[in-house]
Amino acid sequence: MLFQFQDVTKTYGPVTALNSLSLSVPAGAVGLLGPNGSGKTTMIRALLGLIPLDRGSGEVLGMDFRHRQLDIRRAIGFAPEDECLFPRVEGIEFVAYAGQLVGMSAKDSLQRSHEVLDYVGLGEARYRKVESYSTGMKQRLKLASAIVHDPKLLILDEPTNGMDPAGRDDIIKLAHDLAHNKNMSVLFSSHLLPDVEAVCDHVVVLGGGKLLTQGTIKELKQAHRQRFEVRLKAEPAPFASRLSALGCTAELRDDLIMVQLPEGHSQQMLWEIAAEQK
Amino acid sequence: MPIFDQGYQHWSGTLRGHAWRWLAITRHGVKIGRKSLFLRAFLFLAWAPALVLAFMLCIWGLVERKSDLVGQVSGLLGFLAPDILAHPLQYRVTVWTLFYSQFLQVELYLSIVLILLVGPNLISQDLRFNAMPLYFSRPLRRIDYFLGKLGIIAAFLGMVVIVPAIVAYILGLLFSHDITIIRDTLPILLASIAYGAVISLSAGMLVLALSSLSRNSRYTALFWLGTLLVGMTISWALNEIDKDQRRYAYVQENGRIQSQRMESDPAIREHARLEQEKRAQEALDRETVAAQHNWRPLVSYTANLSRIGDHLLNTRATWVALSKFVPADQRQAYLLEKLDPQYPWYWSAEVLAVLFGLSAWILNFRVRSLDRLK
Repeated sequence: MLFQFQDVTKTYGPVTALNSLSLSVPAGAVGLLGPNGSGKTTMIRALLGLIPLDRGSGEVLGMDFRHRQLDIRRAIGFAPEDECLFPRVEGIEFVAYAGQLVGMSAKDSLQRSHEVLDYVGLGEARYRKVESYSTGMKQRLKLASAIVHDPKLLILDEPTNGMDPAGRDDIIKLAHDLAHNKNMSVLFSSHLLPDVEAVCDHVVVLGGGKLLTQGTIKELKQAHRQRFEVRLKAEPAPFASRLSALGCTAELRDDLIMVQLPEGHSQQMLWEIAAEQK
Repeated sequence: MPIFDQGYQHWSGTLRGHAWRWLAITRHGVKIGRKSLFLRAFLFLAWAPALVLAFMLCIWGLVERKSDLVGQVSGLLGFLAPDILAHPLQYRVTVWTLFYSQFLQVELYLSIVLILLVGPNLISQDLRFNAMPLYFSRPLRRIDYFLGKLGIIAAFLGMVVIVPAIVAYILGLLFSHDITIIRDTLPILLASIAYGAVISLSAGMLVLALSSLSRNSRYTALFWLGTLLVGMTISWALNEIDKDQRRYAYVQENGRIQSQRMESDPAIREHARLEQEKRAQEALDRETVAAQHNWRPLVSYTANLSRIGDHLLNTRATWVALSKFVPADQRQAYLLEKLDPQYPWYWSAEVLAVLFGLSAWILNFRVRSLDRLK
């Protein structure tokens, strides 16, 4: 088990960032999907033990994130979403410093920095000041600093934000390689489905601080041929009643109806009901 | 066959324990700081007072040994009374304390400038470049971060205050050839080191707190200068106002007596002269009493640090010992000048403690963990 949450709730004043979240995630390449404000970053901070929880508990890599924060952060590498730099240093010093902050010796961290900078494709720029790096280079630098101590779990928070297509492809290839060929678990957090699909096998989808769904990409991609979202220009309640009377499952949500047609019926049924009620 | 791409390699080393994590921040900060040519030049210049201290201690060692070279350099110690030079062993502690207190007085101001060069960047740049997520997503607590940053200031201040004090001490020992000098002078060295630690801790926390208030290190530098200069100016102004009030009263009295000294009757003139001397002595006594309760220097940050230094080195005893060589009628005025300020040292300790607490509160408020909604 990579990590699990049990009834975790976290609020910031009137905003509920995580709402009774419970889930278990296996090791491997895991995608964390959800729109902005769905709780992805809060969940990551909870995993790192950076925030106290209002309620609930959980573990990551077998360690309770309420009590073993420092041990967890030794075993995890994290590349934050925002642009973050240690100022006034060269690339090689940046990564070496990141390694020393985790507990590597100065000699080990320097040697390892050269290796990971070569791996992420920044070998030629290692002696340049990081302030002169492009956006793509900074993202790769963050990735290098996150893997310098060879973590068991690598968390990438929106790693392709603000990147051009070529840079985005590079990050995705690196993340895919680490997850599938280098025996490192990766938690890839994004609101972009294609990025998650390219890297991950298992996906967790959050919305409004809650778990909407989780499963393998293959399971989730199976077409729900009998399931529709229906928006009407008229009052939805009579339409939903008529669907229910005909054996459908009709769930009213805000301004739409979630319809599950029974087996053997097609979407033609919906048009017929609409024509009836015209 | 050359290898162009090794790919990702796993690392099987061990991670160190947590206790010294702050040291990584200190070493990194010192390394960054030393890249500045200007700072390196300043550190070099800041050793000049230490060279003077070492030189004077070496000369004193020659005096104690009654070396033949003393005659050639005796002019350098001309400010000391002949009796001191004639019986150097009796005045060893007095002279060493005098030399160290003068050295530390100069180094206090050089330390303030050094902190101006090193301190403002420490947290403001991390805030400006959003480095906090990089720090706190690692196994690092806020206390480690603060200790690491404080360690940077302590390291640089140690280079100009503590290390030179130790080096000068060793040179002074070597020139003395008398083992008892260690017993007599070790407390002075320890007091100097303690004073250096007080400056590092107090000024370090204050500048870190100021650095956390702005993302622009120039504003932090201005805050730092402002805190010091405004305090010094206000303290000086309050002191002058206070002294002026007493002087004014004295001048009013003296004016009346002065006119009596112009009388033709010698008896009246003599009476006026004695009266004037009495008034002058009373004025001096009032100044002496006022000096012991004069709280106005507390407004100046550097005066507070200096007062602590005086207490640690016990410079009061030194000046009292040296005052014996001043004519008796001038002794009180001499001590009044040399012992200023004279309020209890723990008043300054309390002021520094309050500033320390305020700095800690500011740091706690400004440098928060990542427990916030973006």
